[in-house]
Amino acid sequence: MEALLQTLVNGLVAGSLLAVPALGFSAIFAVLRFPNFAIGALATAGAYGAWLANVGLGAPIPVAVAIGFVVAGLAGVAVEFAALDRLGRAGHLMKAIGSLAVGMVLENVIRFAFGNDLKAFDLPLARDIVFGPVRIGPQQLASVGFALAAMAAFWAFLSLTSLGRSMRAVADNPNLARLKGVDPTVVALVTVFLGAGLCGVGGTLIGLDASLDPLTGGRILLSVFAAAVVGGLGSIPGAVVGAFLIGITEEMSSLALAPAYRLAVSFAVIFLVLSFRPAGLLGRAVR
Amino acid sequence: MLLEATDLVGGYPSAEQIVKGVALSADAGELVTIIGPNGAGKSTALKLVSGLLKPSAGAVRLAGQDLAGRSPQALARAGLGFVPQEHNVFASLTVAENLEMGCLFAPREAKARSAEAYARFPMLAEKRRDPAGSLSGGQRQILAMAMALMARPKALLLDEPTAGLSPAAAHDLFATIRGIARDGLAVLMVEQNALEALEISDRATVLVDGRNHLDGPAAAVAGDPDIRRLFLGGRQSTPGPQGQ
Ligand SMILES: Nc1ncnc2c1ncn2[C@@H]1O[C@H](COP(=O)(O)OP(=O)(O)OP(=O)(O)O)[C@@H](O)[C@H]1O
Ligand SMILES: [Mg+2]
Repeated sequence: MEALLQTLVNGLVAGSLLAVPALGFSAIFAVLRFPNFAIGALATAGAYGAWLANVGLGAPIPVAVAIGFVVAGLAGVAVEFAALDRLGRAGHLMKAIGSLAVGMVLENVIRFAFGNDLKAFDLPLARDIVFGPVRIGPQQLASVGFALAAMAAFWAFLSLTSLGRSMRAVADNPNLARLKGVDPTVVALVTVFLGAGLCGVGGTLIGLDASLDPLTGGRILLSVFAAAVVGGLGSIPGAVVGAFLIGITEEMSSLALAPAYRLAVSFAVIFLVLSFRPAGLLGRAVR
Repeated sequence: MLLEATDLVGGYPSAEQIVKGVALSADAGELVTIIGPNGAGKSTALKLVSGLLKPSAGAVRLAGQDLAGRSPQALARAGLGFVPQEHNVFASLTVAENLEMGCLFAPREAKARSAEAYARFPMLAEKRRDPAGSLSGGQRQILAMAMALMARPKALLLDEPTAGLSPAAAHDLFATIRGIARDGLAVLMVEQNALEALEISDRATVLVDGRNHLDGPAAAVAGDPDIRRLFLGGRQSTPGPQGQ
């Protein structure tokens, strides 16, 4: 029972860390209409930016997280407009494959620059906080706080600002948005910056939770993808719900299965959900 | 002429010659109806005028400015409104947000203009917080038109505004459209309800197979025996290569 409760808490932590990049991935999919598989490497790039700021420049963790956001956002924009945009003319499938390739290049650039060894953030040593049978690290708790804050900020941007409304309008109906005067290039640029930035925050938070290496982002790529698909590709609330479902299921599976089966569990969840709801939990049927 | 398209040619990447030289026009305060058989290229012609498709030849003049080949944003900014045949509202945005999307060029006016839209169409005020996707077909057409009017366009293109409406709802919408033209807009409207559309229109254009087949005062077109037989009498004989 205690193990179950602890695992549930771990799942909630994992889910909230997964939800941030899943939001970014889903937002990019909703507006640009292709799955950007470079987000794993972009998350890593953001995390290394944050690590450099923290360990190299002594930036406190909240500042480092913000830098992770900006670095990944800029890298995402560079990747989109230097490489992927050109592939767009050949169709969304080409862009998806191209993003996979660019992601590998980026990952190896990072490996070349920083090496393969593990990096750790400069964190004060602190005791776990204990709630009855459940324990949680203070940094984990802070990371969940960052994740919730990032999600809330993104939600507020989408629902309260006119640029956010235009983004939703493009996701809903790109031609009508153009007829109303929305510049699709500007909206794509902002979406990629914010979406990739959220992935950078996710990568940083995961790096804070354990340690950082060139595969930090790549390891979560498939879980992020699973979360977005389960929630309904392109659905913003869906990405969050999907992330918690995947996070909790992956942690729960560790009670019974070896960690190597985590991803298999995620994909079993995809299989189950899509069998009953082909558009995902909160997705709209493709029209 | 406030809005004038001449020798318009264009189509889709997979079918480049759908519109094969069309002339369309409407002056301020004028309501012009375009009729024609299914597949004649009516919607395609409006997409070419609005900038959603790029014409391969021809001119599109709005208030004297040649805007052919410009982006839809540029045409909208110049004062052209377009209500497409399908998907003409943002289904996942609320009614209020849809209206705001119509006012991107004058965001400070959005509040006042929304209030005017609600006064003109009380149904929209009732549904302002509902997603547009939850509206009925007729309500959607009203919202689409109200959204286009939010930009205070000089000219308005309407593609089958009464499609799918009950006869009563269509009748009301026609009265609204007539009123919009009386306010001084140039209105170009494609319609399948040809008889009723011609009754309220000033002029009419008949498109067949991507070309102008007949132009004239609406009453004359409605009285033309060929046109009566082809479009107004019933659907038993529709000409053109795409005829069904
Ligand atoms: N997206 C598209 N790609 C390729 N061809 C298209 C496309 N849309 C329409 N067409 C073709 O262009 C032709 C004209 O279509 P259009 O929609 O302009 O006709 P219409 O006069 O508006 O007909 P309707 O009364 O059915 O609305 C048709 O043959 C149609 O098959
Ligand atoms: Mg049509």
